[in-house]
Amino acid sequence: MKNLEEKIANADSLESLEKVRVELFGKKGLLAAEFAKLKDIPGPEKKAFAEGLNKRKAALQVHFDERYEHLKAEEIERVLREEAVDVSLYSTLAQKGSLHPVMETMDRIIDYFVALNFSVETGPMVEDDFHNFEALNLPKYHPARDMQDTFYFNDGSLLRTHTSPVQVRTMLETKPPIRMIAPGSVFRRDYDLTHTPMFHQVEGLVVDERGKVSFANLKSILTDFLHTMFGEVDVRFRPSFFPFTEPSAEVDISCIFCEGKGCRVCSHTGWLEVLGCGIVDPNVFKAVGYEDVSGYAFGLGVERFAMLIHQIPDLRSLFEGDIRLLEQFR
Amino acid sequence: MIVTKSWLNEFVDLDGISNEKLYETFNAIGLEVDSIHEHEIPAKVVVGKILSCEKHPDADKLNVCQVDVGVARRQIVCGAANVVNAEYVAVALIGAKLPGDFEIKFATLRGVESEGMICSSSELGLPETDKGIMVLDKSIGELKVGQELGSYEKVADTVIELELTANRGDCLSIHGVARDLSVALNRELIPFEYQNKNREKIGIARLVDLHTKGHIEADLRYALAVMEQIDTPFLFALRLAMVEIEAAGKLDSFLKYASHATGVVLRAYDANRLKKEDKIKLQIEAEERGIVTVKSDDALLSIVGVNQEERFTAEDTSGLLLFESSYIHPDLLVEAVAKKEYAKDDLYYKTSRGSEPDLNLGMEYLSSLLEESASCRCYEGNLNIASNWEPVNITVDYAEINSLIGQKIESGKVVTILKKLGFGIHSSQNDKIGVLVPRFRHDIKNIQDIAEEIVRIVGINNIDAKPLEIVEKNRQNATLSHYAFKKALRQRATASGMHENISYLFTDRNKLDRYGFDLLAGELDLTNPIAEELNTLRSTILINLLDAVKRNVNYTAKSIGLFEIGAVFDAQRSQKEVLALVFSGQREAESVANSGKPGMIDFASFVKKLGSVIGGIELRECSYQNGLIHPYQSADIYVRGRKCGYISKLHPVAREAYGIYDTFIAEVEMEALYPSHINAEPISKFQGVYKDLSIVIDKELPYRQVAEAIASLELGMLKKWYPVDVYEDENLGEKKSLTVRFFIQSMEGTLQEEDIDSVMSQVMEKLEQSCQAKLR
Repeated sequence: MKNLEEKIANADSLESLEKVRVELFGKKGLLAAEFAKLKDIPGPEKKAFAEGLNKRKAALQVHFDERYEHLKAEEIERVLREEAVDVSLYSTLAQKGSLHPVMETMDRIIDYFVALNFSVETGPMVEDDFHNFEALNLPKYHPARDMQDTFYFNDGSLLRTHTSPVQVRTMLETKPPIRMIAPGSVFRRDYDLTHTPMFHQVEGLVVDERGKVSFANLKSILTDFLHTMFGEVDVRFRPSFFPFTEPSAEVDISCIFCEGKGCRVCSHTGWLEVLGCGIVDPNVFKAVGYEDVSGYAFGLGVERFAMLIHQIPDLRSLFEGDIRLLEQFR
Repeated sequence: MIVTKSWLNEFVDLDGISNEKLYETFNAIGLEVDSIHEHEIPAKVVVGKILSCEKHPDADKLNVCQVDVGVARRQIVCGAANVVNAEYVAVALIGAKLPGDFEIKFATLRGVESEGMICSSSELGLPETDKGIMVLDKSIGELKVGQELGSYEKVADTVIELELTANRGDCLSIHGVARDLSVALNRELIPFEYQNKNREKIGIARLVDLHTKGHIEADLRYALAVMEQIDTPFLFALRLAMVEIEAAGKLDSFLKYASHATGVVLRAYDANRLKKEDKIKLQIEAEERGIVTVKSDDALLSIVGVNQEERFTAEDTSGLLLFESSYIHPDLLVEAVAKKEYAKDDLYYKTSRGSEPDLNLGMEYLSSLLEESASCRCYEGNLNIASNWEPVNITVDYAEINSLIGQKIESGKVVTILKKLGFGIHSSQNDKIGVLVPRFRHDIKNIQDIAEEIVRIVGINNIDAKPLEIVEKNRQNATLSHYAFKKALRQRATASGMHENISYLFTDRNKLDRYGFDLLAGELDLTNPIAEELNTLRSTILINLLDAVKRNVNYTAKSIGLFEIGAVFDAQRSQKEVLALVFSGQREAESVANSGKPGMIDFASFVKKLGSVIGGIELRECSYQNGLIHPYQSADIYVRGRKCGYISKLHPVAREAYGIYDTFIAEVEMEALYPSHINAEPISKFQGVYKDLSIVIDKELPYRQVAEAIASLELGMLKKWYPVDVYEDENLGEKKSLTVRFFIQSMEGTLQEEDIDSVMSQVMEKLEQSCQAKLR
């Protein structure tokens, strides 16, 4: 019965510890043998012997349990170590595709206006002269038509040069009040470093009773919108001209590349032009048969927003499906 | 429209106005500044007077000049031919630093010492005014020998390029821009005053007869002058160069200069060529609305606002000149001219956007220039034709102006602004005024145009932003829910490793034709495509996606997955939206997991990708046909029982033509994918069992027929079945072995052996009948 603690301590694996357990605590083990002696021990000594033996057994059990826990922990650790992998090898496996930066930007724009209770409207890409020009106060031969070089079809139809015909269609189909945006692709016959024959616009239109919608309202929503898209930029409104709005304005933000100090991107002006807007021209309302209403409208180019927000240098690269560009937006 | 600061200064006092202030003001009033360029003349460039000029003893093309530069006389060798007749010139003294880091140093040219340089305009960073050196004259101010050239503000000028909007024809002149600027800066417009100096005693009417035919809706004014000699003053050449206008000759430089200054359309005819028996007979004819011609003895001289016959156009050597200024309303002109095929000269841009109607201003400005700078004397008087012009009359309600702007603008301020902009106020009540629009603002037609003028001058940045109060209303529509679904679909496509693409709506008609896709009927196709490879509308997105795959292969990409949602057009040009997907090359990225050799995309893995994007699909034998489809590895895609597109391996011939890897393609109609309403089926509480059945059937028999035969049994306990193995070998010959796994489950209770046997035997019996199947 000596050195039993040592035996336990010397067991260096769960298997050898199991052997020790059988040797000590088994039915034919050392402790069982000791307890067997009890029957030969006379009455008065029996109690003391039994108590001593129980104590000894309990102490050994504690030793054993500790050793077991220790060896068990070592065993788990060994198994874990065997299963070890170099995780850094696997980063390349975790890949997903990407949303196109222009579409992702358009999503953000749509989400903003939907949150402000604008409806989303769409319309055909092949349009007629009335919806694309006439109804928007762009009569035939109007010099402003020069601004929008148009794709025509042999039957006289055209590809919409802006998403504004969707506004016309919505006004013809519904009654005021209207709060809508029209996101979509538009087409102009222009192809160089800074122009592609197709690009994306989001236009907005709000129509309500006469006297209700003002230029100040337009300033309010667009300033907030631009802060949402570009962060804390300065917003500047400049009077401008569009045939379908009057008064009209172009909206600039302080250059996000140089913080308005002047750089190559902003042509050293400190400002970036991002939006056109205005109070809807009465001739537009006349064309759709609206009376006693007021409204504002605005329009923006999604590519321009995406290029500014993500610092994409080349417009044409957005239409080439170049994975080297796209995968950056995973 | 390009203006210069010193030129503007002739019409509005810009003293104390910095370039920054000008930039801000122009932008604020809607004349967007494209660029501002300050010409700085380097120090030590002074006015010099050439005292003598002799040929260089050793070089044919060089001249040796003695030049007075104020403090001293300098000997300068000059290579420009026009130095010979020059008197006053710009001299860069020793030490002057010219643009391009060019420092003037003492030099010896072929043995002759040279102490400085006589400069051309471009050597000083100015636009080119002349071939050779710059010959100065008093048009830039009094010439003081030795004075720094940079101190002449007409030379060291600031050039401002304005991007004018299409409605602002009134600002297509220095005078017009100055007129707008004067209101914004609250300074007076300086009136142009012309004192007759030196006139011929005879009146124009002695020589010129003017007749009209028809109702002339244009204004014309004629003047006659004798000219002995003409030279372009240096200032004209310099300013025209700065504003990027090219003149065809000396007389033309006067006309262009006066026209750019005043905005009035000015022409000159050689009167000697028009003269018959000492008389010039002019006939002005209204050909049709908007088309007015000027004729002399039935010969056409010009079409008002459009062009002028070259053979009657005055030249520098013409001795007798007939000047014409004209105005025609742009709306009349543009519409009429659009239907004609007239050649249009430079002035048409002005007339089509609205030239200056104050013909007298243009004529007098031109006369004064000619009399000051050329040996030219005008005849007394003018001949005029004036159309019946009535100003546009607009009733302006202050309250309406305020509600359009969203801010109260004091009525006094409205009146002041309009008056300064040249509007007439003809009546005034408490809350309304009657406003007469000046003729030069043909673009102003209603109260909102007036509101714009107020906003422009008040400054948009001085208007407070105010949110619009709205009435609550549900504005969610089908478009929004479709948009939300498409967004989810796009997210899922990216999750399956594909990149979103945007390609043009255009494609190459030849390519569509070659691969057998729909072509737009000829009368429905594009009239004016921008490029050969973008000459029609696409009837599939796949061609564009494959083009993109090809570009990526060229950039050495090995695994290319692209998808696009967009419009396509059929032969009748009706538009529908499709989802197109392509996957080319390796099916996943190279990594240690595949030892750097991932497998190529195959049918199974592409179906998996497609399924993870659009959800449950059923594939049936392909009924589509085009040159991209592989006839034996392609399928119709059915979603909820509706055929809506196809999936295929790219046909090897197309693959080779593109020069790309193994590629799979799919195109599906979006309309079929939008989710429909789903009601839940009850779920069994009892355990089910899986059973496999291996049968031998004809090699050619598609699994679908097996599946359909099983489905036709309509066994309630048979919850699902799917193929798990197909096996062919020599022993089977023209047959194949197919293993189908069944899942059997009852709604009522735990399955008994006999339930299972009954289901399986019914299945086997059916397959024997319908598919000639044998148990393996």
